[in-house]
Amino acid sequence: MSSERIVVIGGGPAGLEAAHCVAELGVPVSLVERSPALGGTPISENYAALTPNFESAEVAMGRMIDRVVEEPGVDVRLESEVTDMDGEAGSFRLTVATGGAETVVEAGAVIVATGFQHFDPGRETQMYGYYEYPDVIALQDLEAMLKVHDVVRPSNGKPPERICFVQCVGSRDRRIGNEYCSKVCCGVASKEAIEVRQQLPDCKVFIFYIDMRMYGYWENEIYWPAQEQYHVQYVKGIITEVLQKGDKLLVRGEDTTMGRPMEVPMDMVVLSVGMEPSQGTRTVAKTLGIEQNKYGFIAASAPPLDTVSTSRPGIFACGAALGPADLEDTVSSAAAAAAKAVRLVRRRRVAVAAS
Amino acid sequence: MATASALLKLDAAAGFDDVSYEEKARLFDEVRADLRYPEYLYGCYECGICVAACPSARFYDFSPRRIAQAAAREDVELVYQQMQEDIWECSQCFSCLRCPRGNNPGGVITIMREVAVNNGLASARQALEGYSRIIYKIMSTGTQVSPDMLQPDAFPDWGPEVKDVSDNLALWRKALPPETLHTTSTGWDVDPRTLTELYVIWFETGALEMIKEVDEGLYTILEEIMEERLEEEGITP
Repeated sequence: MSSERIVVIGGGPAGLEAAHCVAELGVPVSLVERSPALGGTPISENYAALTPNFESAEVAMGRMIDRVVEEPGVDVRLESEVTDMDGEAGSFRLTVATGGAETVVEAGAVIVATGFQHFDPGRETQMYGYYEYPDVIALQDLEAMLKVHDVVRPSNGKPPERICFVQCVGSRDRRIGNEYCSKVCCGVASKEAIEVRQQLPDCKVFIFYIDMRMYGYWENEIYWPAQEQYHVQYVKGIITEVLQKGDKLLVRGEDTTMGRPMEVPMDMVVLSVGMEPSQGTRTVAKTLGIEQNKYGFIAASAPPLDTVSTSRPGIFACGAALGPADLEDTVSSAAAAAAKAVRLVRRRRVAVAAS
Repeated sequence: MATASALLKLDAAAGFDDVSYEEKARLFDEVRADLRYPEYLYGCYECGICVAACPSARFYDFSPRRIAQAAAREDVELVYQQMQEDIWECSQCFSCLRCPRGNNPGGVITIMREVAVNNGLASARQALEGYSRIIYKIMSTGTQVSPDMLQPDAFPDWGPEVKDVSDNLALWRKALPPETLHTTSTGWDVDPRTLTELYVIWFETGALEMIKEVDEGLYTILEEIMEERLEEEGITP
């Protein structure tokens, strides 16, 4: 039986935006979120401030959450997962498991907003000693410190005097298999570098990179201020290894533009880990029977001009479930997915009424 | 006896004495304290457009990019090394102004040179050594190259004509239509009032003082000449 309801899977920035858009267009929506809380990765991974505008992640995501839960047309299901689906565009039947209980939700269209997870530097090899040295951390670990204004060396609890970021960890790497650029890490690392300089003005901050990818306005919203106002040092050259030397970490690499090898002591090393498809993205893609690309992200069926349709009619995807995306792209694709999903259920309503 | 390690020091091998890190940091701070500095250096992409435009980079191991980079990275050691070497390879043509970030590496070099001169760095002395005659001429007469400096022994490649000209230099100069050019020991006839004003400028701006750090002898001569004239004019510098 045809249904006008739209099911959104995932309660992060993409899912919240999609659910809100669908509800605003007057279509009933069910938002299915696996964890006990809405807000997605920015909340679960303790992001301090959002890139690029430095607004508190809790405040910004809180606003998105409020918009959704206050909308009468939205049925939010926390701690819930879609475990099965049949039917076709216009008349899907989804099995939603909440705790031990299963319910069937009828939907005309589905929007997948299951997002990404941070690359694990210990996934295959012990890259840069992430699990070996306490002072080697990742972007999200530093976010958590910045959030509570307590940036200290995990090894001794003292504020660092020298911090470096290592870019492209788990991205742009044929051996690891993630050949893509994760898009956001240059901006996020630079944003965090600025925050470190704000919170610890005496701490020197270095960013070791392959290419700085600061698209569009991020250039003069983050990159230029980081260099010009906060004197963050950008060095083109990727660190090959991190070694322990006394109570310091020695990073080894090449200063390519100066044409010299370098061995620099650091108090903390921050790995700018990239994006990988979340477990939810992988599972949901299989459950719904939609194609994934070679990296496990959901494949858009007709790029570049249709970024949200998938291989199965009636199922749309948005945000970082489709691949690395910043927040701006995430909410944009979420709104596009909502528009396409609503169009689909409305057309069917017109068709049903006419018959 | 000099120890082997002292002889092997890289800086000494490059032709200048090493100094303490604190002294290098002080010199860099002096560069950064210059009022022009914030407008000459923003941040560096390390893109190399300045090097591509730089005529000196074609002939020397010189790179305006490295100048901007070293300063932007606050690399005290490298900035010092550049003040002892690289900055004197710049021709100050400012082709590097085409920087997309609005940097002015040539301008940073201007400041670094001034700091090098003001602090009597060995490189500044060495770089200005060959110019003592010209500095003397400019500061004492207000004109740069005078006809009597262009002698055949200095310029053998100019051919036989130059000997004929220099033998009868005064006559040749008289043949020039403007009267102000009927001179041999100055480029043109300098008005006494202009010269007095120039001397006041050299004193007041500290330009004369700059010479003191790099060429004490030249400074003494110039100071004497200037003070004498200013005394005649009733001016106490």
